Amino acid sequence: MTGTQLNALEVKNLVVHNTALTAVRGLDFTLPAGGRMGLVGESGSGKTLTALALMGLLPMGWQANGTVHHDGVDLIAQSDRALSSRRGRTISMVFQDPLSSLDPVRRIGVQVSSVIRRHTNVGKREAESQTIELFRQMSLPRPEQLMRAYPHEISGGQRQRIMIAMALACYPQLIIADEPTTALDVTVQKQVLRILNAAVKDRGCALMMITHDLPIIAAMCDTVAVMYAGRIVEMGPVAEVFRNPRHHYTKGLLDSQPTMDNIALDGSSRLASIPGMVPPLHSLPAGCAFHPRCAAATEACMTRVPPLDDGSRRTACWHPIEASVAMVTA
Amino acid sequence: MMTMSKSSRIPVPAPPGVPAPTTASKKRRRLPRNASLIIGLVLTTIFLAVALVSIFYLPSNPNIPVIRNRLLPAGTPGHWLGTDVLGRDIIAQLMVGARTSILVGAGGATFSLILGTIAGLAAAASGKMTDEAISRGADIMLSIPGMVTALVLAATMGSGALTTILALTAFFTPSFTRVIRSAAIGVLNEDFITAAKLYGRGKIFVLARHVLPNIAGVMIVQFTLYFAAGILTEAGLSYLGVGVHRPSISWGMMLNEAQQQVGVSSPLAIWPGLAIVLMVLGLNLLGDGLRDVLDPKLARRAS
Amino acid sequence: MAIYALRKLAFFLGAVFIASVAIFLLIRGAGGNVAAVVLGKSATPEAINALAHAYGLDRPLPVQYFEWVRGMLSGDLGRSFRTNESVADLVTARLSVSIPLALSGLILGLIIAIPVGTYAARNVGTPSGALLALVSQIGVAVPVFWAGILLSLLFGVRLGWLPTGGWTDWSDSVWGAIRSLVLPVLSLGLIMAAVLIRYVRSAVLDVMNQDYLRTARAAGMTRTEALLKVGLRNASLPLVTIVGLQIAELIGGTVIIETVFSLPGLSRMILANVAAREVIVVQSTVMLIIIFVIGVNLIVDLLYGILDPRVRSTR
Repeated sequence: MTGTQLNALEVKNLVVHNTALTAVRGLDFTLPAGGRMGLVGESGSGKTLTALALMGLLPMGWQANGTVHHDGVDLIAQSDRALSSRRGRTISMVFQDPLSSLDPVRRIGVQVSSVIRRHTNVGKREAESQTIELFRQMSLPRPEQLMRAYPHEISGGQRQRIMIAMALACYPQLIIADEPTTALDVTVQKQVLRILNAAVKDRGCALMMITHDLPIIAAMCDTVAVMYAGRIVEMGPVAEVFRNPRHHYTKGLLDSQPTMDNIALDGSSRLASIPGMVPPLHSLPAGCAFHPRCAAATEACMTRVPPLDDGSRRTACWHPIEASVAMVTA
Repeated sequence: MMTMSKSSRIPVPAPPGVPAPTTASKKRRRLPRNASLIIGLVLTTIFLAVALVSIFYLPSNPNIPVIRNRLLPAGTPGHWLGTDVLGRDIIAQLMVGARTSILVGAGGATFSLILGTIAGLAAAASGKMTDEAISRGADIMLSIPGMVTALVLAATMGSGALTTILALTAFFTPSFTRVIRSAAIGVLNEDFITAAKLYGRGKIFVLARHVLPNIAGVMIVQFTLYFAAGILTEAGLSYLGVGVHRPSISWGMMLNEAQQQVGVSSPLAIWPGLAIVLMVLGLNLLGDGLRDVLDPKLARRAS
Repeated sequence: MAIYALRKLAFFLGAVFIASVAIFLLIRGAGGNVAAVVLGKSATPEAINALAHAYGLDRPLPVQYFEWVRGMLSGDLGRSFRTNESVADLVTARLSVSIPLALSGLILGLIIAIPVGTYAARNVGTPSGALLALVSQIGVAVPVFWAGILLSLLFGVRLGWLPTGGWTDWSDSVWGAIRSLVLPVLSLGLIMAAVLIRYVRSAVLDVMNQDYLRTARAAGMTRTEALLKVGLRNASLPLVTIVGLQIAELIGGTVIIETVFSLPGLSRMILANVAAREVIVVQSTVMLIIIFVIGVNLIVDLLYGILDPRVRSTR
């Protein structure tokens, strides 16, 4: 570990593109050490590619530009070899589908303990006992037996807890969770989140939570960034953004949520939806990418891209919603 | 034999002769998508045309020895690729060889296609017992070396084009059965089949009207690839002397004859081999190209 | 695993049984009067009957089949009509040629195909990847005997480095035996490699797109490391099955290559005995080969069970 780090992540002008498309179009944000940030957006908004770019795990053909400062280095400028010594140690990631994300032919214990052995100077036995301890922290039943199990032999919730254990094994400064509960049964989603939450808190590590599920963000994060068509359109403290959304897209997103703040879904609730569809990457509209779906759009929105202003509440909109207006509808 | 549940079967990759399934690779190929289709089509058409012409016209009789013409070099007027040790024209022999290759290769592939379709559809559409019996039977036949089967057939029935076609049929039918069975099962699981059954359509009607058209792409691709495999096998058998005999001529037989004088006249060993490679390459490219153009989803499922 | 293994064993036994009936019927059912053919046109009816009786050819077919199977089970593969040599001896003598040839051919094929196929998969879409795809596509179209002829033309006739054919026995000169195997193994191995490269390439491509490879990298492996440590192990699963299926092809290739290079191997013995109508020799030898191939497939299936825990534990 190097000295004290103020920020777990400083992202400047991150662009992710391949030869034909640009999926992430200039992200700027800072995630303080131990901070917890939610990244929301519909599928295709560039959330996952952002995460993979931070990890240096972009699929073949994709490329990242810009700077990503983490632990004193620019991750974008690092070679695969240099990055690999950080992945799993200072920065790690939990993926969406735990079944396909675990190696089907190696025992779980080996998969997790080998991460510990790779990044620290401990022997085989020590790594194994650390793994068992990790499993215990993840509330996994019978950790000793689990060491010898194969991924297909355990439940989806257990697999995801294994993935979390693997990601947290070396006490990283930052963990990125990409829709960690989407592939799980509803009944175990909460449990997995609770365990992830506790483990992250325990270690004081920063969390970047990618999801389209707003209640999860509300429960686990302190800041939220809303992405639309490869850009952040609104960012700020979770409570404020959710209470007083200033971007019309954020508001639409909030209005279309069936539950908020743990309110149970009863049949009477009326769901709004955002008109239109997310534009495909190859034909993004000029100006604000959201303008074709926005009721407040004007001439300016169609021609000029609204900048994301600075400060603790950031919005990229020519006609942000006034707080009082939002209060009325909320 | 014991019965096994379908799920107990190890996923088996494409049988020998079928090029390995390349799903992801196709999309990223640098060449235009159907380059292999075009090259394959051109090569195949050339050979088909040559075989067709050989029925009506040959530059000279490929079977009658003309001793004064023996071992003429390539480029000799009238014998542009030269002559063999008995003075027989190489071009004429190659032309008849194309006819034999196509006859035997297409014959073997056709019979296998017919039998394999019947067996494959029966396995896909009948009960578990029939399916097990047919599938296990196909597995057993696949594990018997085809070349050895062909030798035994040649020993008992005498060698010749017909025997070779029969041997190819015995060798290829299980592969066809397996591919067609899994393609048909894929189609049978589609919703529109359920709909057709709900309308009270009979099994045969559903198979003929709905399944066959939907697996036609798989059948055509499979036919093309095994056409090629058949040509290779025929050449091998004729090379061993258990394939066709004169007056029929096979490229494999020409190579056998050429090898006797390998030290004397090596060019003789070039032309028939080149013909085999180009024809087989053409058909394989054609099959790959067709797989892309016809239903790629089905092709992947089948292999 | 035990149930899985038992099922595979049952399949093996069933396959061997069915194959033995098929081979027997094919060779004996269609053969006509074997003894008359063997002895030729000038033979007297007495001589023909005597031969038929001596080899049990005059008994009903089911009895002959039963006797044959009983003999095979006790290690008696029968005797040649002409020389009265035991088939077991004939076969054993030939194995010192055929086994090294087939085995080295397969190993050479794998040694070439695994790295080249992996390289091709990693370079899909680049000129070198496209070139490799083309080369293996052409290689698949080359008949193994033509490869043999061309190699012997080049290294035997033109350069004179290696014999173009013939056999020096191991007992005479190990070096000589190896020299006479180099070109046959090279021909067999190159053609096997062309076929296998395509399978390796698609198996590796498939694995490269798997999430668990990304996880391995997320846990700290470099791209190459993840591919070699996690990818190849997973890609080896389909490869094991493919190698099993290729055994039949390998035997076919060995049959032809032995002829190209005039090697006194098993398949040349079958060819000679096919021509001579030595039905018992052919029948027993072919059956041995089939048992071998089905046996290799049994081993492959069991190996698959060991390599893939999903097969092992759920079934």
